[in-house]
Amino acid sequence: MNRQMPALLKPFVALTYILLLAPLAIVVAVSFGASPTYQFPPTELSLKWYRGFFGNPEFVRAFFRVSLVLGFLAAAFASLLGAAAAIGLVRFRFRGRAALEAFFVAPLFIPEILFGAALYLTYARLGIKPSMTSLLLGHIVVCAPFVIRNVMAGLVGLDPRLEEAAMSLGASRVQAFIKVALPLIQSSIISGFIFAFIISFSDINLALFIAGPNSTTLPVYIFNLLLFEGDPSVAAASTLQILIVGLLIWLVQFLFRPRALL
Amino acid sequence: MSTAPQRQRQRPYWTALVLPLALYLVVFLVIPFIHIVVLSFYTHSPTRIWTPELTTANYVGLADASFLTVLARTLRLGLVSTLICVLFGYPLAYFLARADRRVALIGLFFLVMPLMVSAVIRTFGWLVILGRNGLVNGAITALGLERLPLLYNETAVVIGLANVFVPFMVLPLMASIERINPALEEAARNLGASWFATFRRVILPLSRPGLISGCLLVYSAAISAFVVPMLMGGARVRVIGRQIYDQLLISYQWPNASAIATLLVIATTSLAFVVLALMRRSARQEEGA
Repeated sequence: MNRQMPALLKPFVALTYILLLAPLAIVVAVSFGASPTYQFPPTELSLKWYRGFFGNPEFVRAFFRVSLVLGFLAAAFASLLGAAAAIGLVRFRFRGRAALEAFFVAPLFIPEILFGAALYLTYARLGIKPSMTSLLLGHIVVCAPFVIRNVMAGLVGLDPRLEEAAMSLGASRVQAFIKVALPLIQSSIISGFIFAFIISFSDINLALFIAGPNSTTLPVYIFNLLLFEGDPSVAAASTLQILIVGLLIWLVQFLFRPRALL
Repeated sequence: MSTAPQRQRQRPYWTALVLPLALYLVVFLVIPFIHIVVLSFYTHSPTRIWTPELTTANYVGLADASFLTVLARTLRLGLVSTLICVLFGYPLAYFLARADRRVALIGLFFLVMPLMVSAVIRTFGWLVILGRNGLVNGAITALGLERLPLLYNETAVVIGLANVFVPFMVLPLMASIERINPALEEAARNLGASWFATFRRVILPLSRPGLISGCLLVYSAAISAFVVPMLMGGARVRVIGRQIYDQLLISYQWPNASAIATLLVIATTSLAFVVLALMRRSARQEEGA
């Protein structure tokens, strides 16, 4: 197979990966430096920007009290709504099924800034103050498609005869599904949950529009500091984000091997 | 128990499963977008933000020179970033599609991981590389040359956009290339075609659905981008996303912003429909094969 690839392919692919990963690598490197400017490569190693991050109550709040909590709640609600919808779409044949599926994954194709603007104006008109709840309600919309895709992929690969066997042994349809199918698609649901968490955790476009003053998420806080050239504790915060997202993706990819990565 | 009554009893299940999400999306997705369209026909009021008198002035007003400049710039930046994504995405997609499983898994990890990290953080990295005291300018001054203004221009925005969205190109393209039987390439090569001829006459035509999907995904993401142009383009490189944000949150020109947003929604959803249709067609082809 390798003989077929032109000689320049591998170096070009390597270059693409370098360009893709360089920004992340540099943020990580800057966070461990000692210089107050974003110096790269750092001349000496230091953890002072991590101390700076954990010593800043606003940063800690944005990270632990807002972004992490929001990510878990959004992923939980999206998993409940999304997994149920995916089961309904795969296991039953009804008119308009394809259209409904397209409707459910539509948020993937709508630019988040437009959805953010639309929600912002609707909240404003209804007099709903921006808060963590208002942001959560929006995040559930953009997170659900990731759960649907994962769970649908898991269900399609499942042999329906397993449930039929359970039913022939006296289980009801619901019992057969819960006792037989559900444990088998557990990993799809978990990887959907993890993707949903990441989407909420990394979101900036929605949060810029509908996060209130008390619900500044980590990406929004980083964005504001970058606009006003904050110190490298921004890099420390960013590194923590990269670490969490990286670990979660690794977990999904290597433990669950989802069929539908996106 | 016969199967017929069982089928009958299935009916309420799917509605119970599907209905909660459907209702949720109607309330939190469909209604806000209908609201934005309605608002785009309202009259702007300096004192009350809007009055519910219907007008087309918000759309007519978009035909002025300053907005058209912003529009043309946005579309141009989107186009250039899409082309760059094709240039870098095609070889990568081909490599991943033809690599063995282990390599493909690792390659996919390093493609999806950056995609999932917040766009703010990836842009931050480019600020460090291209900034006044950044990596590139550090090297230039070390050589005794003048600093270059690498940030806050259109080139910087294109670099940022292409970098952030290249995975959107690679993923559908890779899926398309994977479906091409490697025997076809071997046959072309055995018949004496160069790798470029093989690419042009075998890979390119057969991976066209993936290429089109990738281009449309990158393009609609790029023309609605906000964070990258804001951080890397500054005040000089105004794009539509920035225009909407400023008019909504800073100058409270809500009907006007709604008109711009409505146009952008129409543009991006029609692109999305093409993507979905292409995906469904290639899935059907696979089933038929």
